[in-house]
Amino acid sequence: MKREVAAEIVDSLKEAGVDFVASLTEANLHDLVVALGEDPAIHHVPVTREEEGIGICAGAYLGGKKPAMVMMNAGFLLSANAVATVCIHPGIPVLMLIGHSGGVGEENAGHATVGALTEPVLQAMHIVYEKVGRFEDIRPTIRDSQMLARSSRRPTAIVLNKQALR
Amino acid sequence: MKRYDCLKAIAPRFGEELVVTNIGAVRHEWQALRPHPANYHLQNLGLTSSMALGLALALPHRKVVAFDGDGSLLLNLGSLATIANQHPRNLVHIVFDNECYESSRGAPTATAGQADLAAITRGAGFANVMTVKTLAEFEEGFLRALKSNDLYFILAKVEAGAGDVPAAALDSQENKYLFVRYIEKSENLKILTATLSRASEPRAK
Repeated sequence: MKREVAAEIVDSLKEAGVDFVASLTEANLHDLVVALGEDPAIHHVPVTREEEGIGICAGAYLGGKKPAMVMMNAGFLLSANAVATVCIHPGIPVLMLIGHSGGVGEENAGHATVGALTEPVLQAMHIVYEKVGRFEDIRPTIRDSQMLARSSRRPTAIVLNKQALR
Repeated sequence: MKRYDCLKAIAPRFGEELVVTNIGAVRHEWQALRPHPANYHLQNLGLTSSMALGLALALPHRKVVAFDGDGSLLLNLGSLATIANQHPRNLVHIVFDNECYESSRGAPTATAGQADLAAITRGAGFANVMTVKTLAEFEEGFLRALKSNDLYFILAKVEAGAGDVPAAALDSQENKYLFVRYIEKSENLKILTATLSRASEPRAK
């Protein structure tokens, strides 16, 4: 991810009201995670496992924060039970920014299976999501996805493809 | 020492503290002993410590008490490292360790074998870690944690067995709304967004 893309995501999150982000890094998310850690307007919590981050975000919401979770799609799949039981079941909104490995343009053979499973699992969980690949789509998509999360009291997702991440 | 007796001993000490309970019998026991909108009962095994961390970070001036279990914490050991690094001074993490999956018919957990959750927690970076085996030790340890301005972990070694209490008649969505409304009121915050009323918009001419 280019630094200007990371800066655009962080600025868009703040404009959308997000003030609390849990993250688990990956090579493609590195610049974003660094930028989140450096921003004084966001409480950034690096986690050891993605489902932990879902729980932390849900707790922060109950305490009045506007949380988001940054992770790769492998981490989202790992978090399916957490998202179901902690967010969807009681009705707690968490905006999820999901880096998409294994989509078109993927060079690493090992990511293809996870890539192919990501959208079907989001659909099976009835999570509304948008796919973002172009710089100019980042800001409106974050704003609108956060709006829906808050109004529907449900998690929403933005799937960042490799173009957006590079 | 039983978990219910521990909870019963400390319940009168609670005022406006925020509580997160693990899934299982503990939620019913606590709701019977301290019915209060500041109780949040999790319908998930594993994330009690993480929910409590998020809450403690969001409201650093409020005391947050987590009633966790050994089976739950063993699912989420990484959360101990995250909590230690975040170091919320307002969090008291209590684990009732009955060395079994009590609500799932009692098969042993790893703490029935070699695992020591207090040692793991120390290793994760917590400074204040206690293992208590009697009711007096538990009560004393809890009061110390409650009055302090620092992160505490209390491992309460308990016998298996639930208190004789009715099932808490609390739906998860209802629990969330009651909790959030309580936070909104006590913290003067707006958490739940309201839908705009069309009647409030000026009529187009």
